[in-house]
Amino acid sequence: MSFVDSILAGLSLVGNFEAFLALFAGVAIGTIAGAIPGMSATMAVALTLPFTFSMQPIIAILLLLGVYKGGIFGGSIPAILIKTPGTPASSATVLDGYPLAEKGQAGKALGMALWASCTADLISNLALILFAGWLASFALNFGPPEFFTLILFSLTIIAGVSGASLLRGALSAMLGLLLATVGLDLVYGTNRFTFGDPSMMGGLNFIAVLIGLFAIPEVLAMVWDPKPHKGQTRSLGDNKVTFGEYKRCFKSIVRGSFIGVFLGSIPGIGAAPSAFLSYSEARRKSPNRDNFGKGELEGVAASEAGNNGVAGATLIPLLALGVPGDVITAIIIGAFMVHGLQPGPMMFILNVDIIYGLFIGLIVSSVFLLFIGSVAIRGFKYVADIPRGVLFPGVLVLCVYGVFAVNNNIFDVGVMFVMGWVGFLMMRNDIPAAPFLIAFILGPLLEDNFRQAMLMSGSSPAILFRGPITWFFWGLTVLTVIAIIRAGIRATRTLKRRA
Amino acid sequence: MQNLHRQTLIGIVAIIAGLFLMLVAIPNWVSSPSNVRNIILSPVFWPYTLAALTILTGIGLTVTGHFSSEDLTPAPAEVSGGYGRLLIMAVVMVIYMFGLPRLGMVWTSMLAFVATAFLVRTSHPKTALICAVCVPLVLYVFFAHIASVAIPQGNFVRLP
Repeated sequence: MSFVDSILAGLSLVGNFEAFLALFAGVAIGTIAGAIPGMSATMAVALTLPFTFSMQPIIAILLLLGVYKGGIFGGSIPAILIKTPGTPASSATVLDGYPLAEKGQAGKALGMALWASCTADLISNLALILFAGWLASFALNFGPPEFFTLILFSLTIIAGVSGASLLRGALSAMLGLLLATVGLDLVYGTNRFTFGDPSMMGGLNFIAVLIGLFAIPEVLAMVWDPKPHKGQTRSLGDNKVTFGEYKRCFKSIVRGSFIGVFLGSIPGIGAAPSAFLSYSEARRKSPNRDNFGKGELEGVAASEAGNNGVAGATLIPLLALGVPGDVITAIIIGAFMVHGLQPGPMMFILNVDIIYGLFIGLIVSSVFLLFIGSVAIRGFKYVADIPRGVLFPGVLVLCVYGVFAVNNNIFDVGVMFVMGWVGFLMMRNDIPAAPFLIAFILGPLLEDNFRQAMLMSGSSPAILFRGPITWFFWGLTVLTVIAIIRAGIRATRTLKRRA
Repeated sequence: MQNLHRQTLIGIVAIIAGLFLMLVAIPNWVSSPSNVRNIILSPVFWPYTLAALTILTGIGLTVTGHFSSEDLTPAPAEVSGGYGRLLIMAVVMVIYMFGLPRLGMVWTSMLAFVATAFLVRTSHPKTALICAVCVPLVLYVFFAHIASVAIPQGNFVRLP
């Protein structure tokens, strides 16, 4: 199938009212949820997922991608107006966004955040379209040993960079891998930790685990320490960003977008480090570097470009290799699976219409983001006023309905509650939840590929080193572990020096 | 010093969990066919490997926790009534789950909404009460009539 044929096939799938409506609704839901202090883009995607079960796969995935895109931008609104980042990725936006708001230029800061987000989003989507197909065609040569080493590398980097400590991240990933062993054995079909309960034979429901880990702990944290969100909402002022200001910041926006694309395409790094790196690079190169941190528009542009540049790029490993780049793409991979699709290189052959449909949808989502974002900026004060004492009970009820709807099974609701407590304990002990969830998804793939490789080789581990691809991933894994350990030692030394 | 103990404590819990898996859980609750020739292909191989890695991670956490000066999230002992509220929330969750098939999802959700709003000390009790009635009903309409999910109706009041 030629490139034009693929685009036409994608267009035939998404060129209808329902698809665009789903995308529009997704961006709107994401922007609103991202803007609510206490909600996050991850929670928004997780809570939207159950509503997509009755939809066609492409419509469902477009809706979720819309929520993802909207959620990342939405987080910048409270970051600028009330100094409370809606998502961790917006933390860098606070540095210059809030000082601008204090000067009465919140409208300017938000306008620049929106334009930078949309530009970075577009660049990131184009990178996805350019690189995902190329990477997938390369990955078609992968067999079980190559996939095993790739997944091992992904897990190493995700466990290492998702939290402050490699070991706590590793423990989280171990727990996720262990939980993934529940159910019938993949080869022999014997019971593993099922306790004879038929509800557990298919393994624990992914959505119950996901919502339990990411939504319920927030409710429990609110029960533990009930407090309204702090911070005074600043008025927008009548300042709008001008084309001249956009042009002045354009270099930083493009640089930030490429930083986002590069870091986003590596599994596990995510949007927050990208935003900070983009911000620090902009400060280093800017003639106004002394103004950074005091209300510099270029700082807002750079950090927003950095975090939105990640959004399309995280889909590169997801679509091309079937490996989620971050927590949100881990949820989206679950959505693919719920709808009977398995992301990875074969999808570029078997479901090329869906792939190109998604590409078209993603490009359109950047335009929707521009429109919805400009409305959301003006309507933020209504969103910020949603009382947390009403929001969180609502989230609890929504979680129960959503999880029950997956299999019409009350057992799943119980799994969600238990996972909620596990997630809360992890949160309280600084154990990151992201490696847990990603390991829970990748665990069966890791084991399956390992056992297939062993079956192929007659149980000889030499097959795991059979060619340049496996050596490449082993090398990357070793380098990652060394880099993370070195970073840990350096951080410990710095802390000791400060003490 | 307290922070160091917490990292060490996490490590000790991980070691105990790994040992429990190796000595009790895997031998009793993972079944393996007797004719598996190679341990690597056995259903117990992967759980044993993960349990061993958990123990290793636990040892690493225990050792590094002893020497680390990293600031973990402080234990907020100052949050008054925190544990009590969490205990009540746990009870609410248990009642919620067991109430679903008996009272029905809509009515149980209304009660759980009110209980949670009370626990998080809502400053908008009237709004919470209105939402407690409306949110479960709206969700019922969506899931039961649009997504065709068989929402539990309970034994008492059935909704259309």
